Amino acid sequence: MLSISREVRSLCCVSIPFPATAAVRGSGNIVMDLIAALEELVHELENGLSHASSLEELEVLRVNMLGRKGRIAGIMSALPALDPSERPAVGQKANSVKERCNALFDARKNALERAREAAAMQSFDATVPGRAPWSGTLHPDTLVMEDICRIFQGLGFDVASGPEVEIDHYNFEALNMPPEHPARDMQDTLYITDTVLMRTHTSPVQVRTMLARKPPVAVVVPGKVYRRDSDLTHTPMFHQIEGLMVGDGITMAHLRGTLTAFVRAVFGAGTSVRFRPSFFPFTEPSAEVDISCCMCGGKGHVNGAPCRVCKTTGWVEILGCGMVDPAVFEAVDYPADVSGFAFGMGVERVAMLKYGIGDLRMFFENDVRFLGQFAG
Amino acid sequence: MLLSLSWLREFTPYEGTAEQLGDRLTMLGLELEDILHPYEAIRSIVVGHVLTCEAHPQSDHLHVCKVDVGQNEPLDIVCGAPNVAQGQKVPVALVGTVMPDGMVIKKAKLRGALSMGMICSERELGLTEDHSGIMVLPDTFIVGQSLIDQLDLDREVLDISVTPNRADCLSVLGLARETAHAFALPFSIPERPFHEDSAAPERIVPIDIQAPESCWLYAGRIVSGVKIGPSPMRIRHRLHAVGVRPISNIVDVTNYILFECGQPLHSFDLDKLEGGRIVVRHGRPGEKFTTLDGQERLLTANDLCICDAGRVVALAGVMGGLNTEITDASTNVFLESAVFRPATIRRTSRRLGLSSEASYRFERGIDQQASRWALDRACAMMAAMSGGHVQRGLSCSEPHPFVPVRIPFRPSRVDALLGEHVTPEFDEKTLTGLGCPVEKGEDAWVVTQPSWRPDLTREADLIEEVGRMYGLDTIAPVLPAVAQTLDCASAPESRFAFWSRIKRWGAGLGLNEVVNYSFVGHKDLDRLGLPQQGRISIMNPLSAEQDVLRTVLAPGLLHDLRNNLAQGAQGLRLFELANVFEADAVSETTARETGMLGILLYGSRYDTAWPQAAGDMEYADLKGVVEHLLRFLHLAASEYTTCEEHTFLQPCVCVRAQGRDVGVMGRVKPAVADVYLARKDVWLAELNLETLRELHDVAVVRFAQLPVYPPVRRDITIAAGCGLKVADIEAHVRDLHLPLLEDVTLVDCYIPQQTSDGDSVRNLTFRLTFRHQERTLKDAEVDKMREKVAESLQKVLKVTV
Repeated sequence: MLSISREVRSLCCVSIPFPATAAVRGSGNIVMDLIAALEELVHELENGLSHASSLEELEVLRVNMLGRKGRIAGIMSALPALDPSERPAVGQKANSVKERCNALFDARKNALERAREAAAMQSFDATVPGRAPWSGTLHPDTLVMEDICRIFQGLGFDVASGPEVEIDHYNFEALNMPPEHPARDMQDTLYITDTVLMRTHTSPVQVRTMLARKPPVAVVVPGKVYRRDSDLTHTPMFHQIEGLMVGDGITMAHLRGTLTAFVRAVFGAGTSVRFRPSFFPFTEPSAEVDISCCMCGGKGHVNGAPCRVCKTTGWVEILGCGMVDPAVFEAVDYPADVSGFAFGMGVERVAMLKYGIGDLRMFFENDVRFLGQFAG
Repeated sequence: MLLSLSWLREFTPYEGTAEQLGDRLTMLGLELEDILHPYEAIRSIVVGHVLTCEAHPQSDHLHVCKVDVGQNEPLDIVCGAPNVAQGQKVPVALVGTVMPDGMVIKKAKLRGALSMGMICSERELGLTEDHSGIMVLPDTFIVGQSLIDQLDLDREVLDISVTPNRADCLSVLGLARETAHAFALPFSIPERPFHEDSAAPERIVPIDIQAPESCWLYAGRIVSGVKIGPSPMRIRHRLHAVGVRPISNIVDVTNYILFECGQPLHSFDLDKLEGGRIVVRHGRPGEKFTTLDGQERLLTANDLCICDAGRVVALAGVMGGLNTEITDASTNVFLESAVFRPATIRRTSRRLGLSSEASYRFERGIDQQASRWALDRACAMMAAMSGGHVQRGLSCSEPHPFVPVRIPFRPSRVDALLGEHVTPEFDEKTLTGLGCPVEKGEDAWVVTQPSWRPDLTREADLIEEVGRMYGLDTIAPVLPAVAQTLDCASAPESRFAFWSRIKRWGAGLGLNEVVNYSFVGHKDLDRLGLPQQGRISIMNPLSAEQDVLRTVLAPGLLHDLRNNLAQGAQGLRLFELANVFEADAVSETTARETGMLGILLYGSRYDTAWPQAAGDMEYADLKGVVEHLLRFLHLAASEYTTCEEHTFLQPCVCVRAQGRDVGVMGRVKPAVADVYLARKDVWLAELNLETLRELHDVAVVRFAQLPVYPPVRRDITIAAGCGLKVADIEAHVRDLHLPLLEDVTLVDCYIPQQTSDGDSVRNLTFRLTFRHQERTLKDAEVDKMREKVAESLQKVLKVTV
């Protein structure tokens, strides 16, 4: 198409060739005949264009009319035979007819091109399936764990890790849980030997970190933990994130600030936080942190029905925390007047609240229909 | 701990609702789990008066009664109980009542006699197990009134979760003390009149404590002349409300006092105590003893035993023995109130898997100061309920008296730890309110531990008390400024960060991340033909499917494959990053934990059909993924050779990068794959993340100048015998060291029909890329170089070009 229009344009610029025939005749009648013939061509062209239904027919018409050996060129070839004084009138006429013809051609050609494109669009189907590349996903545990670590890294914490097979000393004793301490009941343990076990929490990494580094310390520890427990709401393996901050003048107010910032980052600015006194052997004072229920917005009811997530209390427990117990500092040989806070949370618990997952066991069944819902 | 609200009110005049109390206790660290209404099911039962009671003419055991239930007309009720009689006050279920067992009371005709309701037994009301006859109520009960009101039953029971440090709150008394303090109410203990039998001579049971480190206090009294029978209704119902089965007027008292005061008691039949004396000693290895539940227990030297002159009569703090059990025939009771070392009791109770209300409290600590008082209180109650007499004389030995800890306390430390200014007045008020005598000094105070708070021994414990009462929730949050050292700034990428990047790579590539348990079954590893040696077994596994730590990721991934195939999956692309575990004698934890990346590919290459081409994944798909990872980590020069690292893979390909083994990959043998329901090839890779991380840490990324002149490419097709590897051919071409040869790559592989003599060949097309750094190459010189390659291939590798 482009080539056609280029040719049309070049035709318009071609200078009138030197007359080859009709050199002798030179009369006004001839001039009138030529002009009439030119005008007639316009009518003929209009007629022809209206019948041309394709770009191909149009091209034939164009060559016949405007081509190098076309009708206009034919008429123009009579020009040299005319009296020089008469030539301008015929020449001008010829040019204006040529321009007119070109314009008619272009208009018709555009119309036909538009029609052809429109026809092509008719058969285009935007709804055919895409050629889908593989779509990968991250496990919700990973998504939540990375999210949480990113938040704490933003607050200045480092990420640390430690072994999953642990010795009793780091898992219990150094955390103020000597043998036969009743708090050991809180964590049913899977043992390898009498003194080696699967860590029941990420807290032993606290101890390992403090033994390796002098204060100030600010770390979060994500990882797998193990309990001898399996039912609807417990799996023998799950994930925790532990946090520890030790330094000069670290207080409960700092713990509250840090955790409030964290909760808002994960669950939104409107989330309320509640600190409830509790007990952990390795912190004193200790607290459990509740957040306003994300299912019912803390109201306790969803559309008049009791909220299943918070059991109408409006609060859901999300983590445990406290000021590091002096016995723990003693176990890692830290000075007595140092202070710090520690906290720990279940990753699946956060994920269940965040995504509204009801069944903990789904995390480890790895059904791709489950995995595919959280993407990146 | 189940706390009856009406029981609590015997000690403190709390007027609020159960919900308000639960909320307040929750915010004090005693979390409310639930509020129970144990008698909700019999709310509609009313008190009736049996006006007449006649034998049913058509029956030998039924009675036809007219019962006044406070309505205009008395009701006709047919009753089958042997003890029903005229003049009794009885509980009546009217027509329409739903009984606790779900039965609906209907108007009925029993052998011709109309019955408009039911007179109930205690069991029918869900009150106790007693079904010997109907329940007979006191004459003072008002006809037509609700039974539960008239009985003054414990209607509201709070289920409170008590943390291990709060031994004192495992009793009504302790929770009442906490409640009184929280609501600023008086706290008092109603006295039970206690009369020793002054007429009779003093009777003491000699007590010989041979294990003073484990038995801190042993006290007891004799109640003689008891008549065993059921406890009064009120006691039975109250015990029932807190989930304890009433047994007899002796045993019920021990349970009642345990719940009320937190002191576990044990009653012996005095006449069965040989020699009338008590010896407290450790068990002897091989010694046997039959506990109250009829089980014979083998004792160890760690167990603490209560013995008489000749034998064990109780497992201290855990359970009594059959040989001295109170029976209906018992008349003289020796009641024990003791305090044992918590760890001793816990060890025995855990070893035997025998946790009782008593052992639970002993493990957490008993108020030793109140031990004798609780004994006296129990004796008074027992005597009153059984018609017995408390004998004069307290049998007691206390080798380890309670000595309260005097705790140094600095009000300034409260502020330093809480981050909020708390006035010394508040500190003092709180501590004295909790029963701690406070001696104030200039900066440092001395605070004395109350006997009922074994958890208060250090300043931090007291600060927790102040914080608890002040309200941890009222402390204004402050964000801390984290002090970082310069060392942190230049620390290498953490393991977590590296794993995180690999996970993002996997998901970005289109794989689905899975997380499997770290433990599998020994048989899962056996099935894969993995060595027994070096495995780490779980000593107390939950099941045989979880009794060993995985040494490879394969079992978990194959498990996921099976799960997903069962759900109709057609194709899978899974990956997992996790540790595998092997025994390592050198390691502090006896284990070597190695981070691995596992990849499993199975079935359809694409999740969608048209316009994606159909087809199943094969070796090239897996290898492509592995190569992509190595490029992602800037690891060049990877090598792939078949090996026999894992017998469950065939082929099994060893992956090397920069001269180091980084893992294996291959196809799971069909026999193994079958077990996991696979119908197509299962492709699996396991790569060592520790090695990859080490290699990646030292990999240096340098920019290479972009070439200015265009490359010229020539293809060369050869027919190679099957033994010839693509890598060998490429290596041969590279080893020609043609200075202008930039790259050689396989671009096509065609395997024609096998020839008749069985020789199979592959037609391999390699693309050679030539480039000159300083000028454009001429066709002729490139053709010459291609010719050189072709000649060499023909000559050295004996292939047809």
